Amino acid sequence: MTTLTVSKALNEGLRKALEDDPKVLIMGEDVGKLGGVFRVTDGLQKDFGEARLIDTPLAESGIIGTAIGLALRGYRPVCEIQFDGFVFPAVDQIVSQLAKMRYRSLGKLSLPVVIRIPCGGGIGAVEHHSESPEIIFAHTAGLRVVACADAADAFTMIQQAIRSDDPVVFFEPKRRYWDKGEVDTAADLADALPMDRARVVLEGTDVTLLTYGPLVRTSLEAALAARDDGPGNGHSIEVVDLRSLSPVDEETIFASVRRTGRCVVAHEAPVYAGLGAEIAARVTERCFYHLEAPVLRVGGFATPYPPSRLEDHYLPDLDRILDAVDRTFGY
Amino acid sequence: MTELKQFRLPDVGEGLTEAEIVTWHVKPGDQVEDGQVIVDIEAAKGVVELPSPWDGVVTRLLAEEGQTVDVGAPIIEVAAAPGSAQNKTDFAEREVVPVPAPGDESAAGEPQSDQPQSDQPQSDQPPRVAVLVGYGVKASATTRRARKLTAGRPETAEVPTPGAATGRALAKPPVRKLAKDLGISLAELTGSGPDGSITRDDVHRAASDTTARSAEIVAGNGSGAATSAAAPSRGGEARIPIRGVRKHMAAAMVASAFTAPHVTEFLQVDVTETMAALRRVRDLPEFAGLRVSPLLFVARALIVAVGRHPLINSSWDQAAQEIVVKGYVNLGIAVASDRGLLVPNVKNAGLLGMPELARGLQDLAETARAGKATPADLSGGTITITNVGVFGVDSGTPILTPGEAAILAFGQVRDVPWVVDGQLAVRAACTLSLSFDHRIVDGELGSAVLRDVGAMLADPVRMLAWS
Repeated sequence: MTTLTVSKALNEGLRKALEDDPKVLIMGEDVGKLGGVFRVTDGLQKDFGEARLIDTPLAESGIIGTAIGLALRGYRPVCEIQFDGFVFPAVDQIVSQLAKMRYRSLGKLSLPVVIRIPCGGGIGAVEHHSESPEIIFAHTAGLRVVACADAADAFTMIQQAIRSDDPVVFFEPKRRYWDKGEVDTAADLADALPMDRARVVLEGTDVTLLTYGPLVRTSLEAALAARDDGPGNGHSIEVVDLRSLSPVDEETIFASVRRTGRCVVAHEAPVYAGLGAEIAARVTERCFYHLEAPVLRVGGFATPYPPSRLEDHYLPDLDRILDAVDRTFGY
Repeated sequence: MTELKQFRLPDVGEGLTEAEIVTWHVKPGDQVEDGQVIVDIEAAKGVVELPSPWDGVVTRLLAEEGQTVDVGAPIIEVAAAPGSAQNKTDFAEREVVPVPAPGDESAAGEPQSDQPQSDQPQSDQPPRVAVLVGYGVKASATTRRARKLTAGRPETAEVPTPGAATGRALAKPPVRKLAKDLGISLAELTGSGPDGSITRDDVHRAASDTTARSAEIVAGNGSGAATSAAAPSRGGEARIPIRGVRKHMAAAMVASAFTAPHVTEFLQVDVTETMAALRRVRDLPEFAGLRVSPLLFVARALIVAVGRHPLINSSWDQAAQEIVVKGYVNLGIAVASDRGLLVPNVKNAGLLGMPELARGLQDLAETARAGKATPADLSGGTITITNVGVFGVDSGTPILTPGEAAILAFGQVRDVPWVVDGQLAVRAACTLSLSFDHRIVDGELGSAVLRDVGAMLADPVRMLAWS
């Protein structure tokens, strides 16, 4: 086991993928010579050359369009969208081409493209640098959408994403890049939890807290705080890291909710029509008789992401999550 | 004059919080110059050379090679020449790390000489972790803010105890709400809905049963059970839902009949004297406005008999393997009501005088018939009388009220031919029957109780004698 930051774990995972498969390419803005603004591709161009670590122009639509062409010719491109808010020029290529090719070709063509997107806020950044656009891709049939939350998952999930024959949109929690965790870089990837499975990261009995990406750590902190929340008030919160946002791992979600009878979904993205809405609907449909309370959601507000001086008020924090947990006990 | 200065590990602008000391190029005692490379550190980008900001003499190395050091921690101490590179030690108090444009590698790569020297927060804001873009990551709170625990704060709902295969009672959320409002615990119900889920009807049924159950309602001979039954259509059938009082009466009767081995004894009694006494008592001013019936005398007689044979007023505690003999008489009276057969009881009937007992019996019957019997009225009985005579029958084999050892049935009083002193006479007579729990009460005791009650009704003066 090695202690790595999320950023370094991604770097190691990408390195392994580049070593394992000569068809793997990495392309994006500043991924080569600079090594990425978050250092995720640091040192890879030096070791694998400019042909496999490709610095692209500032043209996201072109990055994805090029990747689609490369994938059609047998490559496995890994594209970095430098910031969440920069992905929108590429959405046309992703939605209109990348997601549809398998269906358009009656299953004959696969596009094994990975699109890495640092996502979320909390780093005091400027406009366009703190967004959570995952639901746009989760809503688009034909894509896999995953989010890693810690170093161990960052290492394995990026490799699983690259090996996937489906296009994968891979969200990386920006403000967690420097969080450290134990990573077993020698473990066989085949033994790792598949990337489309959720993981119970903290067991609990009273309420299921479903989350992903940057809020996994916040949720764990909330669960620990709730456990010690004074006599008679302590709640045992089960924290589930969804990991896969499309498809969602219903089996794990439903099993947990049926056990606890209560469910809260937390994400940074706006609550309105967010992933929490979809999960709340599914849980209500499939766990209805088990629910002690409606599924509650915690998330961003129905505003554009605010200036960084205000982001603490926008981002769901420990208190907002626990307030929702408390509300589920009011029924 | 020299000045001891500590050089703190700078943030080299890569969004890092720490770095590893790779190689020291100086050792204590070495002369260093402003800008001279003193140490190699390894950060995420790679090995970076750090220059000395001062002229002076190295006095101490504060970190070893191979050690990982937090940004802001002192790594070397230098006796600096006065005034040496003063402006370079004056690290600007910056709130932000440089924000490079994408692709601006110089900002990212080069050690910045103007990094904050101190790792103290710039204000009362929590410390931030520096990053390439933005102000940095703030440390988030790991405890909850202080908050008022007001009365409006949601309370923890009752957690149903495991029932179904999943370990939880199954019910729609609205049904759970209903059950909570009615004080019904879902875990105790058997669901009739899909997959054994508990339906709204289940909850309503349980709610109507609760009063009766908490009262341990019971029945005498069951003859009062047939009330307001729907009449079947001619030639057809009527189906009457088994619910409410009837359902619990049935359960109580089954439980009693198949738990306590019943024995019933009968005694025909000449109650002519009692009927005469009754008429005289009725005229006493103490009994004005009170209903004085044979039941009053039967009740009194039973109370007196209990005083003579306390074991008849007891219960069988299976769990404790003990017989509980009661030193008080809560006298149950079986009453036919619209809800079914109820057995309210007169508390501490043994302590009441005749007028109070008469009033107690009267109130009891009226309250129960009006459907207003409270759980308290209906629970805690110790022995029961069922007046089957009011139905125009002579006798019965009453089933014990669960938790009691005896029940006395009192048949109708009617004129019969009776042998008195060798002569045939017309006398008022009735049949008493006493069922008792044969685990507690043997034939001798049961017979003695029945005989005593009969003797007192045959000659009410004995009630005075034995009281």
